[in-house]
Amino acid sequence: MSLTELRPASHRQVPPPGPGKTKHWLYRFDTKTIPYVFISPFFILFAIFGIFPLIFNGVVALRNWRLDDPTLTGWAGFANFERLLTDEDFWNALGNTFGIFILSSVPQLLAALIIANLLNRRLRGTTFWRIGILLPYLTPVVASTLVFAIFFARDNGLANWFLSLVGFGQETPLDWRAQKWSAWIAIATMVNWKWIGYNALLYLSAMQSIPKDVYEAAAVDGAGPWRQLWQITVPMIQPVVVFTVILSTIGGLQLFNEPMMFDENPQSASGGSDGQFQTIAQLIYKVGWKDLDLGYAASMSWALFLIILVVAGINFALTRRIGGGR
Amino acid sequence: MRRTVRAAVAGMAATLLIAGCSGQSLEGKEDTSNGAAGEQITLKVNFWGDMGLDALKAKYEKDHPNIKIVLNTGEFNAQHEDLQKKLVAGSGAPDISAVDEGFIVQFRNQADKFVNLLDKGGADFESKYLDWKWKASMSADGKQIGLGTDVGGLAMCYRSDLFEKAGLPKDRDAVSKLWTNWDDFINVGKQYTAKTGKKFIDSGTNMFNPVLAQQPVGFYDEQEQLQMNGGPKVAFDVSMKAIDAGISANLASFQPNWNQGFKKDQFAVLACPAWMLGHIQETAPDQKGKWDIAAIPGGGGNWGGSWWTIPSQGKNVDAAAEFVKWMVQPEQQIEVFKTVGNLPSQPALYKDPAVLDYKKEFMSDAPTGQIFAATAESLKPQYLGKKNGPTRVAVENVITRVQQGGLKSDAAWAEAVKQAEKVAKTGKA
Repeated sequence: MSLTELRPASHRQVPPPGPGKTKHWLYRFDTKTIPYVFISPFFILFAIFGIFPLIFNGVVALRNWRLDDPTLTGWAGFANFERLLTDEDFWNALGNTFGIFILSSVPQLLAALIIANLLNRRLRGTTFWRIGILLPYLTPVVASTLVFAIFFARDNGLANWFLSLVGFGQETPLDWRAQKWSAWIAIATMVNWKWIGYNALLYLSAMQSIPKDVYEAAAVDGAGPWRQLWQITVPMIQPVVVFTVILSTIGGLQLFNEPMMFDENPQSASGGSDGQFQTIAQLIYKVGWKDLDLGYAASMSWALFLIILVVAGINFALTRRIGGGR
Repeated sequence: MRRTVRAAVAGMAATLLIAGCSGQSLEGKEDTSNGAAGEQITLKVNFWGDMGLDALKAKYEKDHPNIKIVLNTGEFNAQHEDLQKKLVAGSGAPDISAVDEGFIVQFRNQADKFVNLLDKGGADFESKYLDWKWKASMSADGKQIGLGTDVGGLAMCYRSDLFEKAGLPKDRDAVSKLWTNWDDFINVGKQYTAKTGKKFIDSGTNMFNPVLAQQPVGFYDEQEQLQMNGGPKVAFDVSMKAIDAGISANLASFQPNWNQGFKKDQFAVLACPAWMLGHIQETAPDQKGKWDIAAIPGGGGNWGGSWWTIPSQGKNVDAAAEFVKWMVQPEQQIEVFKTVGNLPSQPALYKDPAVLDYKKEFMSDAPTGQIFAATAESLKPQYLGKKNGPTRVAVENVITRVQQGGLKSDAAWAEAVKQAEKVAKTGKA
């Protein structure tokens, strides 16, 4: 933030020419160029690790590049993208990705909002609770997913044990990976568990900047806590809501680790025996490194990139409307 | 006061966050520089599991003081994938890498990225190897990318203690006589399951794979045409029969549930290539003496086995080639066989008393040398097509769907053909 304040507003007050050109040049360099030098490392790294792969990926997407058949090379034009349109696997993965995305993002952000609202009150041991909800976020995703994979096991799984307590599945335990709906729920649970606390903390920090008198005024006017949440809190933290929605869109559509580790046979990367929970990121990995078709995989990544842009754009527009209404 | 506490906690959280982010450190690069004569040379060897190299390393380093060998074991699939990525990148590959049967086709199609061992004196070995083992690692234009380590062979491991409890014979010869073909085998399974209420085999896919390995033609013929109605159909029918008979525990191989299945006695038999012995020993060390080995129904076959390859991007390919040639010498091969059980791929060794007289203590003193040598020598090898790996996964997935109840067994074959054809078709642009 404060970097913008460093704007060399003062260079007009340069002392009148006198002490020599070198010094003058140095001074100008210091005020005009140094700020850019200081912020450049990020952009240089971003160019190397962000922009270049993106462009290179775009080039590969237009070529034939098969590791199992090195003779097949050269430009493919848009053939890879055409193939995408009729590829059942791609549409299946797209459906799974959106299914899991909706099952995870919507409950996740709602729960985060409500938790943040609770944490914003006067509680005993506030700091303890606030740090506590962040703990799942600190757990390495591989570790937590492995635990969840055992939690949702068919034989001797904890989830099935809970189900049996309420009278389901004593005879034939539920095989969580066998059907789409159960696999989606299991994966969405992992995602939610990890990200609710993180989002709640973001909301909380935004909520703390809302002046208290607004709430007092609303209370005088007879607005209950629920109404206050939706009509005061949410509109006033709207920029953060937009931020979290976009962030969870990007994260949700790139989902990889959870479905990968949840699979009984992770190395096939097929997302279940019938692709029940194969996400696009997983399909890209499979096409690239299992089927060894790098060109086609690259075109899929580009398609995913475009899809994320579009969906994030739609979500941005929607949340702005919900939040503001003005 | 409150504020300082809060700041301290926030600071801690921030540190944890940063620590969490930096968990993935950059991969350390092995120092393999300076290949000049007389100087220190470091050879990095990638493989998976335990290939019995610890003792070999010590011995070789003692005889060659200027060579340091770094053993880098990892997960089976990850090691192959890592090799593939480093080949594409053009740097970072190990000096020597083990490659399994399931991946050798993939890599021999990229033979220009490996050292042609025929240029390094590898041709002398041709006559020593099983013919099919030698050919399997050879590219279409006649480059040899690997020297064979082991072959799988095929036998049937069984839990003699569980057999006894179920009223079945315990002795390995008597057990072999119980099942001369796969129908007998399924019937024995039914008896076992009826008597004990427990499942007999680990998974339908572990019926499919050994039966397929026994067929003359696998998924693809030598013209790379998919041949689903030959061997795959036979193997698929056997696995469906087993699943319908209710004798399968439906556990996916090499996964945590499967490993747990060993310990919980969830299955009593397991199709056993020679390298599987090491895995059993590692997974269920307390079941020593409870396992034994019988003949597999339907005759010999092969499942798995590996090669040593040398990526040509390495700086010390000559030193690497010397080490590889030393590793496949009879003396070393026998030592590996004794420590981990991997069966050598040079038929002369099958007549070596050190192999023939060897008894595996863990497997109730079974004469593993005799058993596996017999299956490996009599075997007619299968041609593995370019897409063998993905096709196998596709068909295995169909079998898993049947086990999960999502697909009826009578509709499964049509689905398996459909999925296999889909794999075979991809990329034929």
